[in-house]
Amino acid sequence: MKRLGVDVGGTFTDLIYVDDEAGKVLIHKLPSTPDDPSRGTIEGIKQLAEQAGTTPSELDQVFHGTTIATNIVIEHNGAKVGMLTTEGYRDILHIARHKKPLNFSNYQDLPWQRYPLVRRRYRLPVPERVTGEGEVIVPLDEERAREQIRKLKEAGVEAVAVCFLFSFINDAHEKRVAEILREEFPEAFLSVSSEVLPQYREYERFSTVALNAFVGPKVATYVRRLEDELRALNVRTGVHLMTSASGVATAQGAIDRPVNLLMSGPVAGVVGGIWVGAQAGYDSVITLDVGGTSADIGLAQNGTLRMKHLLDTHVGPYNAMIPMVDVDTIGAGGGSIAYVDGGGIFRSGPRSAGAQPGPAAYDRGGTEPTATDAMVNLGWLLPEDFLGGAMSLRADLARKAFEGVAGQLGMSVEEASMGAIQIASSSMVQSIEEASVRKGYDPRDFALVAEGGAGPLFAAAIAAEVGTPTVIVPPYPGVTAAMGLLATDAVYEYVATTYQRVSELNAQALQSRFEELEAQALAQLQDDGVPSDRCVIQRVADCRYLGQGYELRVDCPSGAIDEAWVAKVSADFHDAHEREYSRRFEESDIEIPNIRVRGIGMMPPLQTPAIEQGDVSPEQGLRHEREAFFRIDGELRQVPTRYYAREALKAGNRVQGPAVINQFDSTTVVPPGFTAEIDRFGNIVITIDALAASQVVGAAEQAAGA
Amino acid sequence: MSVVDYQLGRTPGPPTRERVEVDPITLRVLGGGFHAIAKEMAGVLFRMSYSSIIRESEDLGAGIFDAQGRELCESDSTPMHIGSLPWYIRGFLDRLEGEIEEGDVIFHNHPYLGASHTPDIAIAVPIFWEGELLGFAAVTAHVLDVGGSFPGINADAFDVYAESKIYNAMRWYRAGELNEDLDKMIFDNVRTETMNRGDCNAMMAACQLGRDRFLRLIKRYGVETVMSSAYDWMDYSENMLRREIAKIPDGEYTAPTAWLDDDARTRGRRLRVETKVVVEGDSITIDVSGSEAEVPTGFNVPFEGSLLVGAYYAVRTLLLDEVTFPEHVPQNDGVFRPVKVIAPKGTIFNPNFPRACFSRFCQVQRVVDNTIIALADQLPQQVTASNSAAIHFCSYSGFVPDTGEYWLYLEVNEGSYGGRYGKDGMDCVDNLMANTRNNPIEELDLRFPMRCDQYELRPEPAAPGKWRGGVGVIRRNRFMVDGTYSCEGDRQWDPPQGIFGGWTGLPASVHKNPGTPSEEYLEAKVTGIPFKAGEYVEFREPNAGGYGDPLEREPRMVREDVLDDFTTIELARDAYGVIFVDERDLEIDEEATRKRREELRASRDGASLSLNDRFRREKGQLLPSSSPASVAANKAFGLT
Repeated sequence: MKRLGVDVGGTFTDLIYVDDEAGKVLIHKLPSTPDDPSRGTIEGIKQLAEQAGTTPSELDQVFHGTTIATNIVIEHNGAKVGMLTTEGYRDILHIARHKKPLNFSNYQDLPWQRYPLVRRRYRLPVPERVTGEGEVIVPLDEERAREQIRKLKEAGVEAVAVCFLFSFINDAHEKRVAEILREEFPEAFLSVSSEVLPQYREYERFSTVALNAFVGPKVATYVRRLEDELRALNVRTGVHLMTSASGVATAQGAIDRPVNLLMSGPVAGVVGGIWVGAQAGYDSVITLDVGGTSADIGLAQNGTLRMKHLLDTHVGPYNAMIPMVDVDTIGAGGGSIAYVDGGGIFRSGPRSAGAQPGPAAYDRGGTEPTATDAMVNLGWLLPEDFLGGAMSLRADLARKAFEGVAGQLGMSVEEASMGAIQIASSSMVQSIEEASVRKGYDPRDFALVAEGGAGPLFAAAIAAEVGTPTVIVPPYPGVTAAMGLLATDAVYEYVATTYQRVSELNAQALQSRFEELEAQALAQLQDDGVPSDRCVIQRVADCRYLGQGYELRVDCPSGAIDEAWVAKVSADFHDAHEREYSRRFEESDIEIPNIRVRGIGMMPPLQTPAIEQGDVSPEQGLRHEREAFFRIDGELRQVPTRYYAREALKAGNRVQGPAVINQFDSTTVVPPGFTAEIDRFGNIVITIDALAASQVVGAAEQAAGA
Repeated sequence: MSVVDYQLGRTPGPPTRERVEVDPITLRVLGGGFHAIAKEMAGVLFRMSYSSIIRESEDLGAGIFDAQGRELCESDSTPMHIGSLPWYIRGFLDRLEGEIEEGDVIFHNHPYLGASHTPDIAIAVPIFWEGELLGFAAVTAHVLDVGGSFPGINADAFDVYAESKIYNAMRWYRAGELNEDLDKMIFDNVRTETMNRGDCNAMMAACQLGRDRFLRLIKRYGVETVMSSAYDWMDYSENMLRREIAKIPDGEYTAPTAWLDDDARTRGRRLRVETKVVVEGDSITIDVSGSEAEVPTGFNVPFEGSLLVGAYYAVRTLLLDEVTFPEHVPQNDGVFRPVKVIAPKGTIFNPNFPRACFSRFCQVQRVVDNTIIALADQLPQQVTASNSAAIHFCSYSGFVPDTGEYWLYLEVNEGSYGGRYGKDGMDCVDNLMANTRNNPIEELDLRFPMRCDQYELRPEPAAPGKWRGGVGVIRRNRFMVDGTYSCEGDRQWDPPQGIFGGWTGLPASVHKNPGTPSEEYLEAKVTGIPFKAGEYVEFREPNAGGYGDPLEREPRMVREDVLDDFTTIELARDAYGVIFVDERDLEIDEEATRKRREELRASRDGASLSLNDRFRREKGQLLPSSSPASVAANKAFGLT
């Protein structure tokens, strides 16, 4: 197969091309085009296809991961959203679950009140009410709905969420209001709760549906444009997108439910990190993917993705009740802007210079000091040899950008630059600790995989502080997420609500629901051109003891639903319950609120070629020797530093820090006292020496105390 | 029962186990590991349990404790539970010291022996390592019914025997064997057997999981390293808190007297709450001497399991606020050590056995609120204006002949926070020591013969201030079958005060069948009120106090408040001195605003202003609130 993965971040668009039969792997990278991200995507696909000596029409698969939706939430720059909701329940989004995020704080913010997805003035009530039995006790007041829609239109909202109580049982009122919306306000993006998430618990549903509206207009515009342009290039299978659960969405699926893409890019990064770790011989990895705007932190023990519990599925501070891989995103990256706040506190991020205008040193009009500028000032990034010489930097602009904050703080430009990097690093350290030690995982059992253009710049110092003994920098760190797209099977998941009880099972109804879902899954895989011997269909039942509120997923056998089938599912559920909660209740009835079918298109395993073997000395790769600033024993010192070209390094080479390894899509910093070795697949494996680590950690603590 | 001789509030002193040095990374890993165990225990409990008060509201606590009850870690569930378990453990050890065996499961709720109150049952499982009792994995959770005189809630009980069945250090399982007769005794004597059984099983499972996880840490890191780390973390938390206390000038700081509505029986007789905060070096004392004498109802406070917990909470939250304080300080025995509490025997905060003490939450909340207000001049950037500092905790129930059991729904109605330095108060949220989750409306309507007719911000505006107070909720719940309603609540008479020139807010109110001919005002604490099918209850929870002079609020923010219905055009003019050019576009008239503000400044005589003068319930000044679901149901049930 000829496969192409494209991962669009806030700053760069990364691509990978694999021809499984020919054993060919190519990568490519170009700046993202945030005003219209599809431009960068399409341009990248064309360029890479050309490099590969093929045409887009030859591609068997185009798989896409994107942070577009995530960044909208993090930067809170989504659509102006209006909401039509049942009168008498206007503030479900404002009250949330009436629980504070923190127990011991009178000064916390409730993010859903301080930064609402829908402002109260745009949450307009409509008389209607359906009961838990689906009975209408207050008929829909269509005239009021129409008036409210006109008000929203007049106020200039771009997207409208329709959120009525019990619409997952009776969706007639929501459907009717959606029709009126299409008549009155066809240009608005529509997010209807019974379509987006027909599940109970009103706050979680409304929040998910509001998020869907918040990211919807931008995501829909993007995906539509992308789909159109790919069609113009004769790409046969269209575009497929990675979902938050590491499954697949079609373009139409993504447009209808953009909320499923919220963790698309970050999840691909974790999948890619697992693949990198396995190749380098490490099954348990913590992934640190740092781009221009944000950093994503994931953790996989023994190569297994962790899913979040449906009650813990948040994007930023907002609840989104959708299946999601456990990955944390924070606003810290190469483009994070350093500033001194009103109270005199030195901060970095979450505001980012992104790709446009980008760091000051990019000379695209940015004047604010970013982490990248800080690294130029410290000498880690060489202006004439950035991204393997693909781009040049203006050191004078980087310095100028930092003069302001340095002056405010009464520091030198170098000290302020080092401070900005340490502040950005410490937020990543905290997030890693949240994912590991705070959940009882010992970071000493894990390798840290440094991904993204900026991950390898930060990783060694972070590993030293967190306590992971090894850092792996894959051959193409900037495209790890893109690789993740091609390192996984294509998984579609279909859900149906059933509310069946095992004691009074309607086997026929269940069977036909399963068959409907299976037919959908199979049709989708065939539509994607997956050969039938590579299609796998799996059944899943969400089960709980009658009376419980939360379900466990149980894999079910295919075939007829008979006594043996029921016995097997019941036994497997009792076992699953015991594994999860250490107890089983065989005398209890079991309820099946939902069933699911997974359609899996098996992809060939991703393989990359080994690199040339060399000896210990990396001399052949040495390109420059300069002075650069590092913190040593708590002091900022200028020391002789070696700069290597990554593509010239061979397996077995050992690089002694302080050193910088430059390449086309990333830059790796090996701080003083650390040693890096190149493995046979070209991974840089940095060993965290305890003594060197104590120097770095000591420095960080000193800096924090200062 | 050995209650009379029991010495209240006695702590075991510093741990005597010899400690080893632990490297910094292991220390951090184990600190995280402890926290993760507690969190996982709580997670098991709320995901596996049956009643919505545990499953949805998360009214529970879970943690690991040493053999003397010192807290190693506790879950981030609801603060009223956090710090009570050490007292439960010391309470049951009073009877079981030296007798505990591997495989025991201990069941305890005695309010004069450490329990927070009788419905918060504790289940504890001992942790043995090589024959030594290292400690306990323990949880508390609010069970639906404990066999008192009325279903669910008993604010007006004669004594502890009437409020609940008392379990004093019962071994539900003994050395791994179920104590069958006790099991029957426990579950035969509650109204909601199935739910209680499911919940108690979940509690036991959570403890067993906590024990196993803790033993896994010990196997990996060694018992000395694990226990030493636990004690090192306690010292760390203690030192962090002491450092902050030491920054407050030594002195005695007294809050204005707070008044509780009544004792659930004698209407109109308000109950006094006095609070003095004494700072000496790096220790702090909360002294509630002068507060009301104990009452002959269930409105007394267990000293150990509730009042101490409130004092720990107030001090920790003020001084180590998780948002404004830069370091993460784990919750453990260390944060309890610098805090002392004085409550004379025979007051509502330290009642004599066998006074009932079922309903204690509102009193403790007022002590927390008072502690905050007492320190306002010392810590102006850490305090809030007066908070709702009360809840309406309600029980709705009825008997189901088919099953022979009751249906029973417990609900916590949220409050709001006072304005804060630099920030408005939080609206419609569990206040101070309450931090439960609400029960989804769709859960309520699907699982109970109840219907929620309305749930949103109450229609009256926020208390004005430079930073406005939070707005409380309005909620209407309707019985679909005949049933019984009980409630423990407060603050329907004494509204939350503003500070530094902020306005005083609004008290709570409860009505039965509002807007119908049978409308009736209900006091906050009522027990066993019959409701017919179709009748309903309406709560309006307090709007908390404002912080700072409203004339200093930016006119632009006042305009936003009007747009979002947090204030009105009239209050913009009268409280904030903001004048708009017209009522439609709300363009600010800068000149008129400047003049109006001057005028208001000149005309004020320094008296503090109160929203309650404009929206007084007794004068019928509450604003109407539209709820089509209510109108339709009133009609369907013939209430009009």
